Amino acid sequence: MKPNILITGATSGIGAALAARYAGRAELLLAGRMPELEAMPILPANAHYVVADQSAPEVAASNIMAALDLLGWESLDLAVLNAGSGWSGDPASEPAGSIRNTLEANLVAAIALAYGLSPLLSGGRLVLIGSTARRGAPLFASYAAAKAGLDGLARSLAEEWRGRTKVQVIHPGPVRTDIHAKAGFDPGRARRFFTSPETMARLLERALASRRSRRTISFPRYLAAAVTPWLR
Amino acid sequence: MAQITGRRPRALATGGSEGLGGAFVELLLASGYDVVSVDRNAPPAASMAVGIICDLADRVALDRNLDAIVAAGPYRLVLFNAGVSATGRFEAVPLEAYRRLVAVNTEAPMVLASALVNADAVNGHLCFVSSLSHFTGYPGAAVYAASKDALAAYAKSVRKPFAQRGVSVTVAYPGPLRTAHAARHAPPGASVERRTDPAAAARHIVGAALAGRAAVYSDARARMLALAGRLMPDLTIRAMRRVIFDRLDRDVW
Ligand SMILES: NC(=O)c1ccc[n+]([C@@H]2O[C@H](COP(=O)([O-])OP(=O)(O)OC[C@H]3O[C@@H](n4cnc5c(N)ncnc54)[C@H](OP(=O)(O)O)[C@@H]3O)[C@@H](O)[C@H]2O)c1
Repeated sequence: MKPNILITGATSGIGAALAARYAGRAELLLAGRMPELEAMPILPANAHYVVADQSAPEVAASNIMAALDLLGWESLDLAVLNAGSGWSGDPASEPAGSIRNTLEANLVAAIALAYGLSPLLSGGRLVLIGSTARRGAPLFASYAAAKAGLDGLARSLAEEWRGRTKVQVIHPGPVRTDIHAKAGFDPGRARRFFTSPETMARLLERALASRRSRRTISFPRYLAAAVTPWLR
Repeated sequence: MAQITGRRPRALATGGSEGLGGAFVELLLASGYDVVSVDRNAPPAASMAVGIICDLADRVALDRNLDAIVAAGPYRLVLFNAGVSATGRFEAVPLEAYRRLVAVNTEAPMVLASALVNADAVNGHLCFVSSLSHFTGYPGAAVYAASKDALAAYAKSVRKPFAQRGVSVTVAYPGPLRTAHAARHAPPGASVERRTDPAAAARHIVGAALAGRAAVYSDARARMLALAGRLMPDLTIRAMRRVIFDRLDRDVW
């Protein structure tokens, strides 16, 4: 039997690379905010898709729950809550609307999803995708806050659900995706040092096998991955 | 009726009507500040603080009051203190309560801080009251822990950019305090005497904020617990599960 896997934010970047990696080995339910017709060419064949715009967390969660119900999945082996977005700039000029949306789409949506998915995750694994920005990032203040929130949620839930559902938070370092451009930030020449979404997906799969509830995947691990390409 | 005279330094505190917030207000009044308290309840009748009544979980209300809060400045010291909790099994608390919690503990202080600094309404110090759970996690209050971690990360993020505008940023990490809030959420049999007196914690935190320190704990014991959480995260959170989560006999939000 193939495992049932849910990945949010699978229409681009890390989520898309992770979906491509699992395609064929797992039954996939993929979520994104774009309409199905637009998403189809991006997603692996045979994957299921559900529209879930996390700017409205409760709606996103109930759409995903409805899709799971429709598929008849009674349990999930793995849920990767990867969808995310941010705003970049001087924090004093961040509009209230952007602060609110960043918290909603990244943090409140993850809370709503963990809440809804909880009964299906018995014996399974919940993975939250954080960011190394969680330690504080002057140009991404609200995003850093939301990602730190995921860290606190995961550490606490991992202990609460111990023995029933494994909970992990994984903090990637910089990855060469469109997230920075979407946030209004140009990393410039530094982008060359970012890892590819494919390498990140490979490192994520490896991190999932780890016992630890918190993992950071940044430059030292990028380097290790670069010199061990045979470890696929 | 309390009045702002214009000669004395001004301070703003959210959630100033009771608990640690009440202690902040009393301390600042006694130290010669004019104090504005933003709270859903009015300040106690005897208090000399000016109250701006606003439910911080209500976005419309906050937006409506923003101009008045900015106009009552400029402030030498702003204390983002208001916080609510929700304790129980994660699944046992309604999602709606989690929403309120994130709005009050995280979103409102971020929206307020950004608006105040952008309007040049702070000429001194900001202090964000996070929680000691930042270093330990909090089984039985996972969303509370999330909200306080988020607030701490926001404060760390804005410390440099706000410094360029002459505003210092401090994060406070209080441990268990002897307040009504803490008593409401504590498991049965939790000892009250060992909790820190809010007035002492307030003195400690205000001192650090005025000195522009990056971080402050409520007392030496909180500092030790933070260190334990950092050095032995797994052991510490397991211990927290035993003393809190496993003993919770009710869900409170
Ligand atoms: N790239 C990095 O350097 C980096 C570093 C650390 C952590 N991360 C985290 O990794 C995750 C994936 O990011 P990425 O780099 O792959 O970025 P990305 O290429 O922009 O992909 C983000 C995904 O999330 C979706 N998404 C964004 N906002 C959404 C919303 N409101 N509702 C539903 N879906 C939404 C996007 O949809 P659309 O395709 O429609 O935009 C996309 O599918 C994010 O959580 C990000 O914070 C990234």
